[in-house]
Amino acid sequence: MYYFYANLKDLIQFIRNNYIFSSMINNFCSFYLIPMQSNFICFEDISLIFPEIFFGMSILMLIFHGVLLSANKVYPLIQKSIINISILLLFFIFILVFNNTIIDHFSFFNNTIILDPLALYTKQLILLAAMICLLSIVNYLEYQKINSFEYIILILFAIFGLVLLCSSNDLITSYLAIELQSLSFYLLATFKKNSIFSTESGLKYFILGALSSSLFLFGSSLVYGTIGTTNFEDYKDLFFYSYNEIKFFESTYYLNLLQLGFLFITLSLFFKLALAPFHVWSPDVYEGSLTSSTIFFAIIPKLSLFCLLVRIFQSNFCDFIIYWRYYFVIIALLSIIVGSFAGLEQRKIKSLIAYSSISHMGYALLAYSSGTIEGIQALFCYLIIYMLSGICLWTIFLMIKFKNNFNNKGNKDLSDFILLNKTNTLVSIIFSTVILSLAGFPPLIGFYVKLNIFLTVIESSIYFAAIIGIICSVISTFYYIRLIKVLYFESGIVGNLYISISYIFSLILTSCFYLLVILFFHTNFIYLYSFNMSFF
Amino acid sequence: MNFDLALLFLFSISILFNSLFIVAGINSIYSIFLLVFNFALSTGLLFLLESEFMALIFIIIYVGAISVLFLFVIIMLDLKTQNSFKTLYKFFPFNNLLVFLFLFSIFTVIYNTFDKNYYNNNFLFNFNINWLYKLDYVTDLNLLGQILYTHYVVQFLILGMLLLLAVLGAVALTYSKNKCLYKNNQSTFKQVSR
Repeated sequence: MYYFYANLKDLIQFIRNNYIFSSMINNFCSFYLIPMQSNFICFEDISLIFPEIFFGMSILMLIFHGVLLSANKVYPLIQKSIINISILLLFFIFILVFNNTIIDHFSFFNNTIILDPLALYTKQLILLAAMICLLSIVNYLEYQKINSFEYIILILFAIFGLVLLCSSNDLITSYLAIELQSLSFYLLATFKKNSIFSTESGLKYFILGALSSSLFLFGSSLVYGTIGTTNFEDYKDLFFYSYNEIKFFESTYYLNLLQLGFLFITLSLFFKLALAPFHVWSPDVYEGSLTSSTIFFAIIPKLSLFCLLVRIFQSNFCDFIIYWRYYFVIIALLSIIVGSFAGLEQRKIKSLIAYSSISHMGYALLAYSSGTIEGIQALFCYLIIYMLSGICLWTIFLMIKFKNNFNNKGNKDLSDFILLNKTNTLVSIIFSTVILSLAGFPPLIGFYVKLNIFLTVIESSIYFAAIIGIICSVISTFYYIRLIKVLYFESGIVGNLYISISYIFSLILTSCFYLLVILFFHTNFIYLYSFNMSFF
Repeated sequence: MNFDLALLFLFSISILFNSLFIVAGINSIYSIFLLVFNFALSTGLLFLLESEFMALIFIIIYVGAISVLFLFVIIMLDLKTQNSFKTLYKFFPFNNLLVFLFLFSIFTVIYNTFDKNYYNNNFLFNFNINWLYKLDYVTDLNLLGQILYTHYVVQFLILGMLLLLAVLGAVALTYSKNKCLYKNNQSTFKQVSR
């Protein structure tokens, strides 16, 4: 056994030495006359990880601040101020991340953390989305009478984990980041202690999430046992240029064991993404937990989880595409079918959006399973638009609040939106626009990204998947259009009265609406953005 | 067959069966004890794999802290348990045997580690530096520390954040400012008299 590992180490060293187009590290090292080693840590690294360090330190300071103030006997209301401080904090981190864009591709801290366009742009998107979500949950928290500063700090912890996950280049780092994110999500789901639904959904989320985390650990232990490293750079060195030599690799490695390990890792990632055979938790959790938590579950983590998936399978494990491609296609198709057929049955709007998000994740995975650069570009285009329309949809959902006090329920049926057109015309126009964009109607950006996905899938000649995807897209249009029918044409005798919208909500809504319309005519911006993300 | 290999198989097979019994057991307290036994067996496994520090940490943390916590939680719940006070004297010789064994092992360890000093026969000067050990000798704990604080320092810090998050979550889920939130308050008398 020892002899086997020794051989492998030699192989890694050999590949490293003959690696002509090596990464920027070598140039950097030779430029600064630093001895070239794979495992050294210099002071330069700390300046590159500065946004994360700032984030962690300021979370600690925020906890200190909150604890000191809330231990006061006067019980000052610090919820709103903490939300404002954390939005400011996220803005500062956004600037710090923006400041790092000078560097092209650099991995540091013993290659466990990477900075490349993918990481930088996903971080920026996540921070922006988190800022908008934090802005939009202020009124809801007041309405639900949640007055503990820990809620906001848990959200910050989740965003910290997601930001770390974007730039993780190591199985250990990515596991820790996923744990940080998902632990705070379990807590966010079960935060309202006096509600049975919230507690139940938190417990469900916890048990299934723990199962998927343990699957991730098991898979990474198998991978480590097979090839003796957890680092993605080493995987890149071992597997990236080995397309012609797969037979050789089959004789050298326990290839089946390696595939089993990667299978477990993908299973756990699919659990987190709520793709079709592993989706059962998501409608329940979305339904039961607070809407201010659900907005975070629905919008933010998908992008960084897909970032990790792309990192594992595109940059490291790409040459084994013949092994994993059709499984990915099957799972994507299954989730598209489940999302579009089970959504027809839903009466609650939250679980409707949950099923719609399952089908959207299916489309994104379908784009990724084409295995080309265009596929990755289509995937990130789709995810950006998904986040944008998700923010708009959930903001409307958070904002619409009945004027009569007795109807104190948090969750809404479809029938609660009856005749929204009469009470608030502009909101109903924006709502229907977002829904049409999600369904993929032509004068909106949702059409373009969906078209892009089907084009890439057809170009990589997976025709049956494209056909099934298009048919299911048409079927899922039914429940999107039914929402519009409820908004405009439902013949209710009495409509509902809603509380008027605050300034911030209207700002978010109108900007999202303009983006959804204008991006259709100026697609360059989003294409350029995702193009940068796809070359990493 | 090698003796090490035989022990390895023994430990791993008994770990497997033990875990089966933990899951399938009816009485939850028995399954907790089986869990403790499982940790002890895995300690033996880790000793065979020559990672002594991890083995001892298994005993200290998993058996000493986590399983005891589980036991505490299960006893807090309303489960039917028998009074085990009558059987205390039955195990008395066995307990004492264990204590003597432990004492004997401690004495042997002390006797073997403190080498005699050849230059001074005093008890106070009974340490001896073996320079061969000092030359290239890194213990398990030392090695772990060297790797953890240099190569994986970021991961170590993230782990600290994770633990902080766990504490924060536990406080946020249990602590409430208005006492009347829960109708069923915890009554200590009921729990003690159970």
